[in-house]
Amino acid sequence: MSWRIASVGGLVTFALIVLVPFWWITSMSFKTYEQIQFATSIYVPKPFTWENYTGLWLDTRFPLWLRNSAITAVVVTAITTVIASLSGYAVARIRFPGRELVASLILVVYLVPPALLFIPLYRVLAELGTTNSLMSLFLSYPTFTVPFCTWLLIGFFKALPTELEEAALVDGATRIQALVRVLLPLAAPGIVASAIFAFTLSWNEFLYALVFIQDERTLTVPVGLNLLIYGDVFHWGQLMAASVITTVPVVALYMFIHRWMVEGLAAGAVKG
Amino acid sequence: MLVIGLIVYPISRAVWLSFTDKLVGYPERFVGLRNYLYLIDDDGFHAVVRNSLVFTVSSVALKIATGLAMALVLHATWRWRNFFRGLMLLPWITSTVIIALTWRWMFDAFPGRGFFNSVLLDAGLLSRPIAFMATPAGAMTAVVVANWWRGFPFFGVSYLAGMQAIPAELYEAAAVDGAPPWRRFWHVTLPGLKHVIIVTTLLTFIFTLNDFNIVYVMTRGGPGTATQVFATYSYEVAFNQLRWGRGVTISIFAVPLLAAAIALVSRYLLRDRTA
Repeated sequence: MSWRIASVGGLVTFALIVLVPFWWITSMSFKTYEQIQFATSIYVPKPFTWENYTGLWLDTRFPLWLRNSAITAVVVTAITTVIASLSGYAVARIRFPGRELVASLILVVYLVPPALLFIPLYRVLAELGTTNSLMSLFLSYPTFTVPFCTWLLIGFFKALPTELEEAALVDGATRIQALVRVLLPLAAPGIVASAIFAFTLSWNEFLYALVFIQDERTLTVPVGLNLLIYGDVFHWGQLMAASVITTVPVVALYMFIHRWMVEGLAAGAVKG
Repeated sequence: MLVIGLIVYPISRAVWLSFTDKLVGYPERFVGLRNYLYLIDDDGFHAVVRNSLVFTVSSVALKIATGLAMALVLHATWRWRNFFRGLMLLPWITSTVIIALTWRWMFDAFPGRGFFNSVLLDAGLLSRPIAFMATPAGAMTAVVVANWWRGFPFFGVSYLAGMQAIPAELYEAAAVDGAPPWRRFWHVTLPGLKHVIIVTTLLTFIFTLNDFNIVYVMTRGGPGTATQVFATYSYEVAFNQLRWGRGVTISIFAVPLLAAAIALVSRYLLRDRTA
């Protein structure tokens, strides 16, 4: 019985640790500037106001940043899904010399942190003439999304039974047909999970966007938010509203498919 | 292959740059090991190494401890386990920049904006607000807490998966032998999780040692250099002082440690795959 109480207590404690910060910013996003400044109605906004949301939408470049973030995340997810599915399939299923080496290289490349690469990558992108445009993000984000998603998908493809594919080949299908008609539908949960990872990683990325883009109209949301805090006037409420708006789509997406994500994570990344 | 090219080429450029005194707008000049020698003698850089290690080691240790607690609690939960697991993963999918902003406000000096000050003042435990972010220890605590909050759910979920893979017979055998719960935890659960613990620790070590977002957004390395770490210092030197050669050299100093961690963790992960 005491174990039961301890575990429920633990569950509540963890839920609070996770939820309190979210509740804090959400509650602030519905307060007026004066309510925040003079610490009235600290825990629950009273009166409740939408002014931060309307102000954010009408007076800042936030809508533009949101658009940039969305375009980047969608383009990068599309590029990543195509490359990672093909290379994941190749490494898992096609026998070619050095494929173990390729598998380990993919892993090592994924593990190299962006903080090591941003200066030289900046030079490369500057030489290509793509800095200060979203193109620089389309080119640089796959350097971390592709290795990660390929690694996940190698695991998925390896786990699928080879008999199905062989049967298709025996029946006269080409390799491409076997891949598209037989394997891809089976690997769909893995591909969806890896696409969602790619989307989340690009949506949240900060360092590359900060370094590669200077024009205020080309920024993505995370860099734009960072600009807002160090601006001349502190629009606390608007910042919180922006944080809420940015978090909601990812959380919604994730609530919808979180079991897949957890399983994808366990199958592809941690347990092998 | 293209992607590997996009990584390998920059890395070799990085190594080359570290041997030059490249300033933005000037051609690069080969200076041998001068950048390395300069940094070895630089007090500011010593602080950076120390901060990076404090930041990394304390975050990772906290994550392991909390992750284990979280996994035990979830493991003991039957109803609603998936719901709570999903709930607890929320910090892990939230943008790091937003997490950093949120915790900056949680630790803010003004009641009404700062959660801790509001609560402590209301509870009568404080008579005046504390400016957490203005003291070196307070700022370091704040960045560690933010990083811990972001990372522990991943540990918890991984350990939970590990615990579910431990055969129930082992626990039954231990119970029959009269082992009390904490001994079962010590002799059955922990050894069963050893592998997952090693892998998550190494992975997080690699990414925390080079964390940029949390520190940059919360403190910009301040107050003074109290929270300046490898990545933020490298950014500061390269993009504010425009000394690219030296900026790159800073991140290269972390490479031996990183390379060791990467080699170890890839061995573990690849062995899983082939087994």
